[in-house]
Amino acid sequence: MAEQFLEPVVENVYTLNLGPQHPSTHGVLRVVLDLDGEFIVRTDPVIGYGHRGHEKMGENRLYKQFMPNTSRMDYLSGMLYNHGYVLAVEKLAGIEVPERAKYIRVICSELNRISSHLLWFGTYVMDLGGFTPFLYAFDDREQILDILDRVSGSRLTYSYCRFGGVCQDLDSVFIDMTRAFLKRLRSRWSDYENLVTKNIIFIHRTRDVGVISLEQARQFGVTGPNLRACGVAFDMRRAEPYEVYDRLDFEIPVGTKGDALDRYYVRMIEMEQSCRIIEQALDQLPGGAFLNPKVPDRLRPPKGDLYFGFESARGQTGYYIVSDGSTMPYRLHVRVPSFGNLHVLVEAFQGTLLADAISTMGSVDLVIPEIDR
Amino acid sequence: MSYWKEVINGGWSLVEGMRVTFRRLYRPVVTVQYPRQKVELSPAYRGHIEFVKFKETGTHKCVACGQCQRMCPSNLIKVQGIKERAKGRKVGTQYFIDFTRCSLCGLCVEVCPTKTLKFSREYELEGVSRWDGVIDLMARLGETRP
Repeated sequence: MAEQFLEPVVENVYTLNLGPQHPSTHGVLRVVLDLDGEFIVRTDPVIGYGHRGHEKMGENRLYKQFMPNTSRMDYLSGMLYNHGYVLAVEKLAGIEVPERAKYIRVICSELNRISSHLLWFGTYVMDLGGFTPFLYAFDDREQILDILDRVSGSRLTYSYCRFGGVCQDLDSVFIDMTRAFLKRLRSRWSDYENLVTKNIIFIHRTRDVGVISLEQARQFGVTGPNLRACGVAFDMRRAEPYEVYDRLDFEIPVGTKGDALDRYYVRMIEMEQSCRIIEQALDQLPGGAFLNPKVPDRLRPPKGDLYFGFESARGQTGYYIVSDGSTMPYRLHVRVPSFGNLHVLVEAFQGTLLADAISTMGSVDLVIPEIDR
Repeated sequence: MSYWKEVINGGWSLVEGMRVTFRRLYRPVVTVQYPRQKVELSPAYRGHIEFVKFKETGTHKCVACGQCQRMCPSNLIKVQGIKERAKGRKVGTQYFIDFTRCSLCGLCVEVCPTKTLKFSREYELEGVSRWDGVIDLMARLGETRP
């Protein structure tokens, strides 16, 4: 600790603590910035304020008992994390899943992806100073929460998936609500476009701001929409299809320059693609069981380890589970996308204005509890 | 030239944006004034757990097997029972949950062998001390609730 205070004072450099409590860090993230006037010369992200030890918790509870923890890592896409965890354990233990459950999971995951992107859209525009789109985005997001609330019983931390299926079946009301919502969301694109996408102030604050080159993205392990904005069409749903994604037709939007505007475009198009996925999945939804009843409460997967990667709302997320044949995992590690997405900012911030740094940080869609976990 | 073009296009984009906002002025209100108005809870809503009152017996069917207690990830369930007859079943006599630590995962409800647990529909659970979060399910069963 003492060395920190004894660092030589650099001439003409002002050190600014962005966070831990700052509205645009969306959580407890501290970024230490060295400023030369208004320009950033050094960035040092400090993480760990929200550390709760989820990985360690996984080691002393049953596979089933870790379920509520998964949605609390990335609280904005809890369903996706839940989904990935059950997929990983099912693969490790060799559990069969009914067809209907696969479709149900895909529908709910994609709804959650839209809700996560809508929240990002609202808060990002609010970071840039526009308050109105935030309210509209939350209005739409509220519909998704109501839909997911109907089947899962909660609005944010779902714990909806189970090993071998889901805990509750979809009913016709859910399907009607989802179809009505998709129709409504599509009618909103023009509003969003007029309000934000075409807005001159927004374009000037995002175009050529926070450019992440493909080389940097590769070095730091950037995934998800941030990587796709650099021009790489890499999506775990397409690269290593899980569930029924190989049967569904959707496009992977890519950007060209990798600036904040590209990241914005990619996410907006991704929401439309998620709508397409949900529509197709609803059309193809088969009947039958929604849960495999043969799965025991105290699951004992065979000895071995497994890494399972899937596409969460922010990029490639993965569960690495080591099983020693007992009822609890020997080791459970989570690969989170926001970690790479945050640390690439060290290079992306170099030489930019402080105001642009806020715009960049908002555009990569960080969720801090996911990094700290 | 392009400067003036951008000024005109930019100015027009702001007008377009304002038009969206202005149109919203005449749309119905979507917010709910909470204490005065209440939204309908979803059928799957998860409040804290409570006992199911079976019609045949007029009471719960808890056999104090303790499976919920063992399955709970946060160890917040305390259940105790007695055997009234030597060869009879155990009957639950005490059932406490510490709701302040509950993550509402529902594993206790799923694991219950007699299906005597269910989610309540309570959501107004304010209290002044941490002990207000401790709920006695046996006492709740006796009270008449809507």
